[in-house]
Formats: sequence, structure tokens, C-alpha cells
Amino acid sequence: MAACKTENGSERKLEFFLKVPFPSEREATIALQSLSPDPEPRKGGITKNLDLSGQTLSVRWTADEARILRVSVSSFLDHLSLVMETMDAFGPPVSQ
Amino acid sequence: MPVVIGFEGSANKIGVGIIRDGEVLSNPRRTYITPPGQGFLPGETAKHHRGVILTVLQEALDEAGLKAADIDCVAYTKGPGMGAPLVTVAIVARTVAQLWGKPLLGVNHCIGHIEMGRLITNAQNPTVLYVSGGNTQVIAYSERRYRIFGETIDIAVGNCLDRLARVIKISNDPSPGYNIEQMAKKGNKYIELPYTVKGMDVSFSGILSYIEDAAHKLLSTGQCTPEDLCFSLQETLFAMLVEITERAMAHCGSQEVLIVGGVGCNLRLQEMMGVMCKERGARLFATDERFCIDNGVMIAQAGWEMFRSGHVTELSDSWITQRYRTDEVEVTWRD
Repeated sequence: MAACKTENGSERKLEFFLKVPFPSEREATIALQSLSPDPEPRKGGITKNLDLSGQTLSVRWTADEARILRVSVSSFLDHLSLVMETMDAFGPPVSQ
Repeated sequence: MPVVIGFEGSANKIGVGIIRDGEVLSNPRRTYITPPGQGFLPGETAKHHRGVILTVLQEALDEAGLKAADIDCVAYTKGPGMGAPLVTVAIVARTVAQLWGKPLLGVNHCIGHIEMGRLITNAQNPTVLYVSGGNTQVIAYSERRYRIFGETIDIAVGNCLDRLARVIKISNDPSPGYNIEQMAKKGNKYIELPYTVKGMDVSFSGILSYIEDAAHKLLSTGQCTPEDLCFSLQETLFAMLVEITERAMAHCGSQEVLIVGGVGCNLRLQEMMGVMCKERGARLFATDERFCIDNGVMIAQAGWEMFRSGHVTELSDSWITQRYRTDEVEVTWRD
């Protein structure tokens, strides 16, 4: 899931992709909206993009260093599992 | 009759509270307590909150005898505070707001303290002393803003007390400040410390450096006891706070003082402030530890005021922030 790529022959960036399936599009949307508002604590050296397609939340990271990538991914997974636990305990979503 | 649920977790306390028209329906809370000599770090604090927040949320609903459908609005602490714990709590607030189909409201933590203090004490228009481990501000309301009249230029007064507790390795249970207060009662030797009021503002980091140094020297030579240090530090810090509060009162012509924030539980501080108020013919208001110390229902109460006056926070704007000035919020619910 992590790949090294050279861009412009001078930069090495690490990439990490994550695809998270949800039982419904609604729940995937809820997860996206809960996880996207906060900025990355570390301003430089990492980017993170969240996207939604159908029932799947996809996340894409690019980072300069493995250490920075690991911290961000680890943190995201903690937050993701918190969202899922919350949905388990207090869901299902009410009908709109 | 809106019912608002509030989530608070900006420091080491995680609380969820429910309020309906000024009536506290529930206010459970947990505190992350570290071993003596240690403070609390963001990552570990966030981990603590993550572990208990859903339990506390369920407790809040159960104690209030309510179901999700009964809630009208979900309020949470947008800031200021420690980043990681704030994010943890915000994530749960956002998720339940969406699950339950309710509007979300990001609340300023300081304003939460002020609004809860106003509700509980019924103070009309007080000069507010907001003192905690993370904040030290003197605030007065004027023209739709809670204006900061004076504040610490470096660390909060509670932080100074907590750091002394670490040096002398006293227990953090239930809180370092509480244990310092108890020890101070048994102190009788006054050790002279720097007194650093800067006009309307105060500075504590110099006093901290001084007392950390003095603690090592004096304790090892037996020239004083830890109780004496606690006593001396409290007397100095609290006298400074009383001074800047009085200065703000004189500027505003105010006849009421409201103390909020965790350090506001301290009875010696209340006593000293009471003496000054009596001299000026002013009234002192304070709350007990249920509401002084960070809690969920204070966020719910501020959220209730904001919700009634038309505020709502869009999900995309619901990011947390470690820095959030008290005067950044437009107080549309007061004249």
C-alpha cells in the first residue's frame, strides 16, 4: 500500500491508500463529514485527501518521510474506529 | 424549550452534559489523572477520552432519562485547548449530530464557563475572573463581546500551581490544585516570591521558575516544608488575581465579581476576593466543583444560548482550534 515514486526526478514521495467500505452510502458520508474538518496537525511534509464513492470512503496520503506518514495514518485509523464505534452505539442514522 | 447536549474535552476532563431551559438534566464527567510528578500530554489524554467518551455519553442520556430524539442540538468545544483531545471529542459530536439529524454548534470553552457561571449564580453583569489550568483572563461584557480586560502574558495560574505540585510530587487525585489547597492550610511560613502584576495583566512563568528553584534549595536544607511553599504560592498568586480583578472593576464601575474555571473552586481565592469585594461594596459569585471544573453542561448551556439566537455550525466549519480568543465570538444572545 505504500509506494515510492520519483516525481520530476528530484522528489521522493511516499503514498498510502486506504479504502473503507461502509454498510450504506449514508454512513460513509457521515464518516467523511466527521473526519474531514480538522486540519492535519503537522503543516508540512504530508497531505491527506478524503473522498467518497458510493459506500466507500477512500483516503490518500502523500508524505516526505515514512515516520510522518505512519503517525498520520495511525491517528486517522484511531479516529476512524471511534467514528465506527459511535455509529455502532448510537446509530443507525435517522431517516432524512 | 430546546434540549441541548454538550461535549467537553479540551484538557484532561471529559464531560457530556444535557440542559433544558436552564435546568441541568445530567452532567457526568471523567478525569484523566496522571501519577504524581507527571503532567498530562495531548496523545495520552486523547486516548483516555476515546476510551470513555461513549460510556459517558450514554450515562448523560440515561441520567437525563432522554433518548436521542429528545435532543434538539449538539454542542461541543471548538476550542481553545489541546489539539488531540479536542479532535477526539469533536469527532463524536459530529457523528452523533449526523446520526440523529440534529444541528451542530461549536462553542468557545471560555464562554462555556462564563455562561454556566451566569446561569448558576444569576449574576447580572459581573466582572469575570476566569482561572484554570489553561486560562487566566479577566473578562467583562460590553456591546456584544466578552472583552478581555486583563490576562496572563505567559502561563495560566492553574498551570503554575500544577507545576509546583509536580516538583513536590503531590498526588494529582482528584486534582493537583485541590491537594495544594489542602496542604496550604497547614503552611505557616511565608516565603517571599516575586509579585508580577503588569498593569492589567499578570505573569506567572517567572514565579514558577523562582519557586521551582527555591523548592529544591529550601526543602533539602529543611528551611521550609512543602506546605509552606503551597501556602506562599497561593497567597502570592491569588493576591495578584485579586488586584487585576479590582482594576477591571474600577474601569467598568462593576459591582459584581464572578469567578469561573477550575481554580475558582479554591476557597482561599474566594475568601481573598471576598475581602476585596466587601471593601468595595461589591458582590462575589462563584460555583462549586460541578461547574467550576470543566464539564459538558457548560458547553450545552453556551450552546443553548447560541442556538436560541440563531447560531449553527456547518460540518465543514466544525474544525477545532487550539487558539480561540474569548472576544472572537459575537455574543448575539445578550444586549
